[in-house]
Amino acid sequence: MIDRIVGTVVFVISVSAFWVARGYEAGFGDPLGPAVFPQMVAALAAILSLGLILRPDPNPKAQSRPALTRQIATLAVLAGYVLLLEPLGFPLSTTLGTACLALLFGAGPAKAGLTGAAVGVSLFVIFDKVLGLPLPFAPALFG
Amino acid sequence: MDILTSLIGGFAVAVTPLNLALAVFGCFAGTLIGALPGLGPVNGVAILIPVAFAMKLEPGSALIMLSCIYYGCMYGGRISSIMLNIPGDEPAIMTTLDGYPMARKGQAAKALGISAVASFTGATLATLGLTFFAPLLAKAAIHFGPADYFALYVMAFATIGGVTGVNPFKTLLAAVLGLLLASVGLDPATGTARFTFGSYHLYDGFDPIVAIVGLFAVSEIIMYFESHATSGAGPAKLGRALPRLREVFEGFPAALRGSVIGFVCGVLPGAGASLGAFVSYSTEKQISDKKGTFGTGDPRGIAAPEAGNNAASGGALIPMLTLGVPGSGTTAVMLALLVSLNIQPGPLLFERQPDLVWGLIAALYLANLVLLLLNVPMVGIFTRLLSLPQWLLMPIVVMVSFIGIYSISHSSFDLFVMIGFGLLGYALRKFEISLVPVVLGLLLGADMENNLRRALSISGGDFGVLLQSPIALVIYGFTALMLLFSFGIAMRRRTAPLED
Repeated sequence: MIDRIVGTVVFVISVSAFWVARGYEAGFGDPLGPAVFPQMVAALAAILSLGLILRPDPNPKAQSRPALTRQIATLAVLAGYVLLLEPLGFPLSTTLGTACLALLFGAGPAKAGLTGAAVGVSLFVIFDKVLGLPLPFAPALFG
Repeated sequence: MDILTSLIGGFAVAVTPLNLALAVFGCFAGTLIGALPGLGPVNGVAILIPVAFAMKLEPGSALIMLSCIYYGCMYGGRISSIMLNIPGDEPAIMTTLDGYPMARKGQAAKALGISAVASFTGATLATLGLTFFAPLLAKAAIHFGPADYFALYVMAFATIGGVTGVNPFKTLLAAVLGLLLASVGLDPATGTARFTFGSYHLYDGFDPIVAIVGLFAVSEIIMYFESHATSGAGPAKLGRALPRLREVFEGFPAALRGSVIGFVCGVLPGAGASLGAFVSYSTEKQISDKKGTFGTGDPRGIAAPEAGNNAASGGALIPMLTLGVPGSGTTAVMLALLVSLNIQPGPLLFERQPDLVWGLIAALYLANLVLLLLNVPMVGIFTRLLSLPQWLLMPIVVMVSFIGIYSISHSSFDLFVMIGFGLLGYALRKFEISLVPVVLGLLLGADMENNLRRALSISGGDFGVLLQSPIALVIYGFTALMLLFSFGIAMRRRTAPLED
């Protein structure tokens, strides 16, 4: 059943990709043009997804239970980290991000905070100072 | 001897202090990454590529470091297989079958010793194979035209699922999805913006390195909460640190057989180390399992798959270096590195940049020696590191991969793209669709299209040109055979599901 759903989704995507690609026009001296290759690929994807719809595998055995809350929380932490990286600067945002991740992976609050600070500072020193990669330090505080 | 002179030249490159230090660092980091459950060679190499950029390494030096990480991972994967019954990476799955039972019987040191020697045997034989076969293949490949390359790409994608018996529709679909993702961005030939939906961020397309770190590393983090929620029995005791010399060679004949099988699996497109280990183990079981001891801690059951996966990883470097068509996930990542350093692997690489190629090959010989040292007398370091808590290791891995990607482009947008690919990778894994073909498609799509266009502009738009070259015809014939074979296996599986 899952395979049929995946197949249908891919089928819709590939048909629309085929549709979108039809408008790409060819240039001179290029008999193929920019449209043909994506269309070939999209057509193939559509055929293969039909194969998946017609001959699906039995549903995969539930080897693992999703841990949805923690998974979504992890994604939120990652996205928040990216949003805060430039405004807060690297050391501070990394400290926060690492501490939150450590909490999610089962550390206690004290250990998480300590890990966060250690990782935030040491990665900044290694990458910015030793390897010479300019990373934002703390733009919000020092402009 | 042509090859010997080149190899000596290679050693001159490899023993420069910087390259030697990078090789030793790569071996150590690789063994560690391989040993940590959940972090395989693809992740290890992908995460450290940006670090190699950051260090402003020469292409040759960067390649040496990453190849040593690759080899190191193959050695390291067995450590947690044996000690924890959790494979450190995918190719090490077969090693759990006999490795963990041996460790439970108090023979952990012996099992680690045997598997280290087997890894050394496999990797060294494969490096020898690389030394002698790669230049031959490169010479032959000089005659390949655009139509032949197009055929080669078709073969790489069509055969990637190989004979693993996974639903071939899914692996093919994964490759095609990768190709579709590859066409996002400005078309290099005409400047047409394709599938960019008006966002200028997408004009450059998806950077394969961003996609790879997302697909493998980020999805691993999300997956982690599911797969490691229940841990098995605790780690086995190491016992005496050094195994006896005689014991270590107990599985040697099995290791030799495993090396040959693994090497062949590695050279074949799209097969890679997991298949090498799988085929080596099952063949060895058929040959020597007379008393039914396999699965209960038979030394030969560790030696064969460990030699197999190490030999396969060496073999997989051959098509990557000589044809620019990687044979496995990790070599695909290394190809991404070379392309970003403006080096086009292929038959001309051996002529134009002998220092890079032969320096790499020589460094691999040295790496094997270093790895043998790290993995026999010093294996205790790694078994101790295995007991570090996950809440310490995982956040560090995440942060290093984010900082690495950010350091390439200084763009938050790329980081969001990476998280997006992480979600895609998680979904594909849940649907049991392999990630490696997606990466190969994304990586090779542009070249595949270029070769198709070149072939057609020579012929003036006649698609018949694709079938005129004898080389291409041979490749298509082989592809058709492999496809028939894999669909055949899949059909048989469907009617009579295998027990294992």
